[in-house]
Amino acid sequence: AGTAKMAALSGRTGWLRGWLPALPLLRRGSKAVTRHWRAMNFQRQKLLAVTEYLPPRPAVPPRCLPAPGDHPQEEDGYVRLLRRQVEEVFRSSRMVAVCQYNSMPDEDVVLMRHYLRKHNIEVKFVLNEIIRPVLAESKYRNLLPLFVCRNILLASPETRAKEMLRVLKGIPQVNLLGACIDDTILSRQGVENFARLPSLEASQGQTVGALSLLPSQTSSLLQRGPFLLTALLDEHIRRLRDTGAPGQPPQGQGT
Amino acid sequence: PAGPGGAAVPRAGLKKLVLPPDYSGIVFPEKPKLKFMDKVPAVPKVRREPRRLRDIRGPSREATDFIQGQYGILALGGGYLHWGHLEMIRLTVGRHMDPKSMFAVWRVPAPSKPVTRKSLGHRMGGGKGPIDRYVTAVRSGRLVVELGGRCHFGEVQPFLAQVAQKLPFPAVPVSRESLREMRREEEEKRLNNQNPWTFERVVTSNMLGMRKYLSPYDLRLHGRYWGKFFLKHRV
Repeated sequence: AGTAKMAALSGRTGWLRGWLPALPLLRRGSKAVTRHWRAMNFQRQKLLAVTEYLPPRPAVPPRCLPAPGDHPQEEDGYVRLLRRQVEEVFRSSRMVAVCQYNSMPDEDVVLMRHYLRKHNIEVKFVLNEIIRPVLAESKYRNLLPLFVCRNILLASPETRAKEMLRVLKGIPQVNLLGACIDDTILSRQGVENFARLPSLEASQGQTVGALSLLPSQTSSLLQRGPFLLTALLDEHIRRLRDTGAPGQPPQGQGT
Repeated sequence: PAGPGGAAVPRAGLKKLVLPPDYSGIVFPEKPKLKFMDKVPAVPKVRREPRRLRDIRGPSREATDFIQGQYGILALGGGYLHWGHLEMIRLTVGRHMDPKSMFAVWRVPAPSKPVTRKSLGHRMGGGKGPIDRYVTAVRSGRLVVELGGRCHFGEVQPFLAQVAQKLPFPAVPVSRESLREMRREEEEKRLNNQNPWTFERVVTSNMLGMRKYLSPYDLRLHGRYWGKFFLKHRV
């Protein structure tokens, strides 16, 4: 029995005859590594509770601070290309019209492009996120409020607003919002008025006619005095002739 | 962008074209699929070995980092893998992966530790039981299998998660980046812990005589391991 006790509890110091440990360790209970979750000593549980992880708490909670905002991603080459194209459009065309675009069937889009191409107007689909920064930095700042929803640009090197309006009148899905013609921003009304204006040749002829109106009246102005005198004298002769008809017509002084 | 009336108009915006991933530095082994593991080693052991459960306890020292592949299964607890588990892994991974574009590599040796079992229904005593099977010991923090090739993590994660769920210890599919991220987060937690009292500090300086209630292994394990379990939430 003595040897059995020694063999079982050989690691214990203070093993003296008659000494029994207060807690019978390793007699019953599990080994260190078990399949189940071995019960922890209460002191150990307390230690684990005390030494838990405490996350840092900044003085100002992050949700009270303004949002950090994502870092601007490096610019895509594709985005740069589209921006260059938009700048080119604005630079090369005299007339740029902004229209709202609602979804149309594809064949109608092709037809619209065809009709507008006949009048030398190009249709360009633009994305707001590309065109907004381009316009904000250029002189077309006031066109920014137009670029909100889906839109298209009708660009042309000539200013043929009448034909454009006629084509767009037949398409209910495309609505003209505004235009920039010859560096002048026009609203929808302005474009309609512009279309109603006579063409350049007609207006030139009108101007020439208006300018030459006064000089054409000069000769008639100068001859007005003598004409009046002639008319008065003729009237006088007629009256004398009428009164002197029963008698002798007086010898009229000729003029 | 607000439309008329203040309501925001949802827009798709410009498509952000992403470059395809670069798989240039990947070297395929001769056999892409997992090798077959024997149930019993070539020279079966005659002498029955003691249980030695300390090969499950604590963090792993080997196979903690990636060697060839990009994705793998990380063990988050200790346990024994026997032939059935290894077959399950081999077959599931082989079924789901494409041998032409992916390869898989074992990070765990063939079972070599004999485990005994007494026959059912007998009382205690009568000596040690005969060898029942062979197992491999896996500690927490060890990689079990590694996967690589021309694939991204999203393709590989579903079946790795399926395999990880069936293992006898908690496991999680990882990639090189996610493992690095995990280690970095752990380190960050350790550094920005606001609690002045840490398990490590209490144990090394034996504050309040705590070592009476703790094991000498806790000096090394710092309270993050309990038996075969890995306590992930501990700092």
